[in-house]
Amino acid sequence: MSATTGQPPRPTADAAQGSVAWWVGLVFLLLLGALHWVSQPVPLPGVYRIAHAQASLPLDPHVPPRAIALPHVLDDESPAWRERVDYQLEWPEGLAYASPEGTRLALLLPRVGTRFRVLLNGHEVFQFGWYAPRDRTVLAASQPHLVALPSALLASDARDNVLRVEVQGRFLERSGLSAVQLGDHDALMQRHRVLMLWQSTGSWIMAALSFFVGGLALFLWRALRERLFILIALAALAHAMRTVLLAVVEPPLSHEMVFFWHRVMFAAFVGFFILTVEHLFGHRLRWVRVGAWLAIAATPLWIIWALWTQDYDYVRLWAGALTVFAALALLAGVVDVARRRAYDDNQRLVTLAALFTLATGVRDFLVVQLNFPGDGDLRWMSVGGAALILTMGWVLVERATAWARTVHRLNETLSQTVSVRENELRAAFMQLQAAERQRAVEAERQRLMRDMHDGLGSQLVQTLNLVRNPSAQLDREALASMLRQALDELRLTLDSFEPMEGDLPAILGTLRRRLAPALEGVGIELRWEVQEVAPLEQLDARGVLHLFRCLQEIFANVVKHAKARRITVSTWQRDDQVILSIEDDGVGLPPPEVRNSTGRGLRNVLTRAAKIGASVRFYDAHPGTGIEFAFAVHARPAEVDTDWLQPSA
Amino acid sequence: MSDITRIYLIEDDRTILRFVESALRQRPQWRLVGYSDTFAHAEMMAPRSLADVFLVDLGLPDGRGEDILRLLAEVKPEAELLVFTVFGDESRLIRALQMGATGYVLKGCTEDELIAAIEQIREGGAPISPLLARMLLKQFRAIDSDATATKGPAPVLSERETDVLRLVAQGYVNKEIAQRLGIGVATVSTHIKNLYRKLAVRTRVQVVRAAQARGLL
Repeated sequence: MSATTGQPPRPTADAAQGSVAWWVGLVFLLLLGALHWVSQPVPLPGVYRIAHAQASLPLDPHVPPRAIALPHVLDDESPAWRERVDYQLEWPEGLAYASPEGTRLALLLPRVGTRFRVLLNGHEVFQFGWYAPRDRTVLAASQPHLVALPSALLASDARDNVLRVEVQGRFLERSGLSAVQLGDHDALMQRHRVLMLWQSTGSWIMAALSFFVGGLALFLWRALRERLFILIALAALAHAMRTVLLAVVEPPLSHEMVFFWHRVMFAAFVGFFILTVEHLFGHRLRWVRVGAWLAIAATPLWIIWALWTQDYDYVRLWAGALTVFAALALLAGVVDVARRRAYDDNQRLVTLAALFTLATGVRDFLVVQLNFPGDGDLRWMSVGGAALILTMGWVLVERATAWARTVHRLNETLSQTVSVRENELRAAFMQLQAAERQRAVEAERQRLMRDMHDGLGSQLVQTLNLVRNPSAQLDREALASMLRQALDELRLTLDSFEPMEGDLPAILGTLRRRLAPALEGVGIELRWEVQEVAPLEQLDARGVLHLFRCLQEIFANVVKHAKARRITVSTWQRDDQVILSIEDDGVGLPPPEVRNSTGRGLRNVLTRAAKIGASVRFYDAHPGTGIEFAFAVHARPAEVDTDWLQPSA
Repeated sequence: MSDITRIYLIEDDRTILRFVESALRQRPQWRLVGYSDTFAHAEMMAPRSLADVFLVDLGLPDGRGEDILRLLAEVKPEAELLVFTVFGDESRLIRALQMGATGYVLKGCTEDELIAAIEQIREGGAPISPLLARMLLKQFRAIDSDATATKGPAPVLSERETDVLRLVAQGYVNKEIAQRLGIGVATVSTHIKNLYRKLAVRTRVQVVRAAQARGLL
């Protein structure tokens, strides 16, 4: 895709897009018709076209004046004329007036230069750059000139008027004089305005347009790095530069530099445009690419050579070669695409625009250089260039939006993929959660089963056996007490399920409620010295049951062996430890020979204490014995814990 | 307090009925004035009885004991509502208390213990466990933040009630609490009973608010 070839996917050409090309083609045809109609030579009322003059060379006095036809170009004389030419214009037969007074005449010079002045009856009435320093570049031919003829200087008889146009020429600049128009001032002023619009204002607009399209393409290229964009940018910018060089009357460069850059820019424009078209047509014609780069690279050398030899034929040759190459390249591209039937809308449009531009160029060449019929002062090429640049702008926008659409589509695909993945993940997570829940439920079930089996179950079995035994005398009291114990056992197990959140005093209080009646029954007083302490994470349902079993064991021990009257239960906090101590006021630690019988139960206590992360210490309480559990406040319960399944002693 | 105590039993287990009848023989002036063994019967009859103490089993065959509690708490605000429970598990008890129960008795207790429980509640006392106290503390703390959030009047704990609850939660029994706080044992009981009433009131307030919020009222 675009990542590998640098091209975005082509927008799919549908029927609607295809018809755009036909419409544009129609517009181009209409435009050609309109241009033809506009630039038909229309005789102006009261205006005479002067197409002949007497040319003399003031710097070469022994060359006699000569009749020449206008337009006259100094470079075309052989050997070429240089420096200065004076043209004496013939006063048209029909242009007469009754009296000079009130007669408003003017002279329109569509193309004259490089510098000139106009003299009427020996008086200078207009000059352009005539007196400017020699090293200054003045290109009067860049725009048309309107010269008003002061009525005071007119001869009383129109035929006596002498009208001279003196020209300073430069090599290779196509200096000279084109056919002029003489006559009614107002009509000529209108005409002058039209010419200004076509030649000067039109050029500036086109230059601005080209700069804009070129700049835009450059920015797009900077962002997207697509080859097409830089080609369009270079072509448009070269075209803009060339147009500016054509339109500026007094460029701040020497004549040679203006000449050089003008041609180099033109070659760059043509070359990059051909490269653009070639790229657009599938980047398949290697010879076209090589030719285009060659044209761009060779033009500077060729133009330097032309400047060196000062022979305009070299420039003609260059221009002709460039035109032929452009036409061939375009044709080759069109044929190639047509053969592959891979025409898309952009290619049709560019082909049409290029053909249109070519047509305008050929027309200008025929009319201006070869004197074909038509108004040579209205150059079609400027309209053609504008159409070409606009078409390139269109292609640019098409490509850029194709990129945007691609990115948009990619984003959509991406977000779809992401959401699919997200759902998958969520489903997997839910499955995992369900499995985890299942596992937890299973573990709880097992715990409960073991507990019921070892505690409640065995108790009930004992009771049942007692009731069934026919030989034993049924002691109702003993029976009730056993059932009651069973119920308490069950309640204790259920208590461990209550949400106690590691609140040690509440856990002890709950235990107290279950065990206190039994202790009181055997005459042991319970002293409660419990204080609020930090919650203990390790005392979850499992931990609570471990603790219950530990305390049951300890209390049972006290009842059996200690001969105590009082048990004191206390809690407090010491640094980051929570302490639980159980003290009795009995006979103290049992002598070694008795320890074995209590040993099993106490070992059980130690094991269970380890499971809930408590360290246990036995101490002499004077009198009696104390057991101290120390819980670390932020301790985690042991990861693997199966010992709670063991029954209490 | 009048010596005559009228008791109404809502319980589907016949052995419990016999157990209660047997226990009541110890107090000739006490009467079992009513007995329902289904939810439907209790719903119909219990509100019309003149009983002072209702013994309510939570696990009726055709309905939830909690609903009976709520009904009775509304129509008989002066009556004592004792929950009859096998395990005395706090999670279930606190729901019953929220519905209006004022105490509970463990099934499987002796006749003396039943009589003592009824006497205790008639004298203004109330049974409580450390875990229940812990839950109550939490509940009322939630009310506190609730009330500030909704700006509505809601029953709150007095300082003394909080002290009592805290000590109960630490496992102290009423006698020890009375000693520690320098008050009578009866006063401790009264505090606890008041707590139950507050909890039920608060629950009712909450229910009304929730209904209002849903546009039902």
